[in-house]
Amino acid sequence: MKKMLVVDDESEICDFLKSFFEERDFDVSMAHSGEEAVLAVERLRPDVVLLDIHMPGMGGLNALRQIKEKYKRARVIMVTAIETNEKIDEAMRLGADNYITKPLSLEYLEREVQEKVASLSRKMS
Amino acid sequence: MSLYSRKLFINKRKRALKKLLVGLSLFLFGALIFYGVVLLGHGFLPYALLHHPLFPVSIMSLVALAAYKPLDMLYTEIFRRYLFKQRSYVHIMLMNLAEDLELVLDQQEMANMVVNTFGELLQLKTVALLVHEKECDHFRIVAAYGWNLSDYRRVEFSSEAPLMKLIRESGPHVVSRNRVVRTWDWKDANMLAHDFDVLQASWVVPLMVGDEITGALAFSAVNRDRVFDETEFQFFRKFAHAIARKVRNATLFLHLKQANEKLQDTQSKLMQVTRIKAIEQLATGLAHQIHNPLTIISGKAQVLLLQKDRVPLDERVLTVLKTIVEQTKRAADITKKLLMFSQGPDVPREPLHLESILEDTVALISYQTSLEQIEIKQTLHTGLPVVIANRQEMREVFFNLLLNAVQSIGSKGWIHIEMKHDAQEQQIEISIADSGKGIEPENIEKLFNPFFTTRDEALGLGLFVTKQIIHRSGGFIRAESRLGEGSLFTLRLPCEQEDAGKTGTTPPSNSKISQKSIRKAGLIFED
Repeated sequence: MKKMLVVDDESEICDFLKSFFEERDFDVSMAHSGEEAVLAVERLRPDVVLLDIHMPGMGGLNALRQIKEKYKRARVIMVTAIETNEKIDEAMRLGADNYITKPLSLEYLEREVQEKVASLSRKMS
Repeated sequence: MSLYSRKLFINKRKRALKKLLVGLSLFLFGALIFYGVVLLGHGFLPYALLHHPLFPVSIMSLVALAAYKPLDMLYTEIFRRYLFKQRSYVHIMLMNLAEDLELVLDQQEMANMVVNTFGELLQLKTVALLVHEKECDHFRIVAAYGWNLSDYRRVEFSSEAPLMKLIRESGPHVVSRNRVVRTWDWKDANMLAHDFDVLQASWVVPLMVGDEITGALAFSAVNRDRVFDETEFQFFRKFAHAIARKVRNATLFLHLKQANEKLQDTQSKLMQVTRIKAIEQLATGLAHQIHNPLTIISGKAQVLLLQKDRVPLDERVLTVLKTIVEQTKRAADITKKLLMFSQGPDVPREPLHLESILEDTVALISYQTSLEQIEIKQTLHTGLPVVIANRQEMREVFFNLLLNAVQSIGSKGWIHIEMKHDAQEQQIEISIADSGKGIEPENIEKLFNPFFTTRDEALGLGLFVTKQIIHRSGGFIRAESRLGEGSLFTLRLPCEQEDAGKTGTTPPSNSKISQKSIRKAGLIFED
């Protein structure tokens, strides 16, 4: 089973993402801040991370930097409320694999996640 | 004009009168001589000669030949005395003009009045009014009589030009080209002559207020040999003195007006920037605050919609869920639209053929339509140069403008789209005219403001975003309208130098202008 970490300061968002992906056979964990996310990545070693950019505390971009330092293999999809280009560019430079804007289209998100997972297993084999 | 034709008429009459008088005098003079010859020659001239019918004719012819020139000159001289009366009429007219100028504040209007009246009354070939521009210390022609329009606009004199130096030294006197070139023993005589030539002038009268030269009146006569006498020169000085202060006041007024306009322009630009900044901040805040709840609402609905391995939902519930997802997306689009222009400088730009984008947009609109009878006429000049802009943004621009036109028409009407290249300005001009209900005059200014709308269901962001996009692309947009008749939106965008035709996304066309066929369609639209 593929492991997924959902990071958003809005627990309701984490909740529905969790139920959605659990139905699709993912082992989903949640984190509500950047700091929590970094710790969770170290501990859980997830295959895919859904990471909100705009969060209180260290924020999504800093978390991304540390996640990539600690566990390079994780595929990170950034989640953002606004498509502000600088932030997206910065995230992509830091090693994010893609981004998606709120409100989320779950169909699109699922396709993206499956694709990343598939690319991971291709790499493994 | 009427003055001029009247002058011509007077001249014609005068010439006829002169001819008549010369003829009569010649006849009388000839008859007198003949009578004298017959009386004196009675003794020693042969009878046959004296009574020959050709004798008086030949005598009179000889007299006419000999006396025509002096007589003609005599009468011209006499007429000139009469002309003196005429000249004073000219003087009175010109001084009246100088007084009338008191009421004129517009520099251009004043200058035109001066050069035209001066030129027509004195029957000159050219007249030019120069005005001193303090800002750059230049003399510039503001109005000219007998000049080619585009020529005089180019004429500019530094106040260090030899002619201007000469005027400064000689004071308020009339400067005559011939006299200066002949008598001026100065190394710059040639340059002086050159300055006169540039002004197409034989005489220059400075306009002085106190010691300050505020301008000059430069003129030349039709006849190269025409001379003015001292009294006339004195009159020119008087006239120049009378108008100098008025011309200076008009110039000052113009400068004041320009400065004021500039100030207002800067102020409104600043206001605009501040307003945009405020909206940008508002939209960013809104996006963060609203997109999260929207994400939750839409996300939960999607979870239900996309659930697997569970009892299928009731059809009605499915519809409700779908509506929830759609409507949350719509709500999110509002902030996205608002944010669109704040991200403007970063959007990728590429060379675009606007005509193909316009055609796509027209197709989009006509697809949406189904019943309203709206004609879309296009006049597109093919082979237009490319414009550097963002494709998506340009689509948005055309879509907004067309949608506005369609909504303004309602049903039955026409939209006329024209696109052309202004080679001189290096711009593409697109005009979109409609036969809609038009815009109230007081609303025209507010048209491009954010959230301005006259329809309840509309957001009022379409034209605002359109204007922002056009401005960012270095262009501008203007709206004109007549209530009840329709509106016209004109936008201009800077285009690249000619390389059209090479990057051929335009469909090839044989005719220079392709008149697109007319689409009849009905429209359902959302904003």
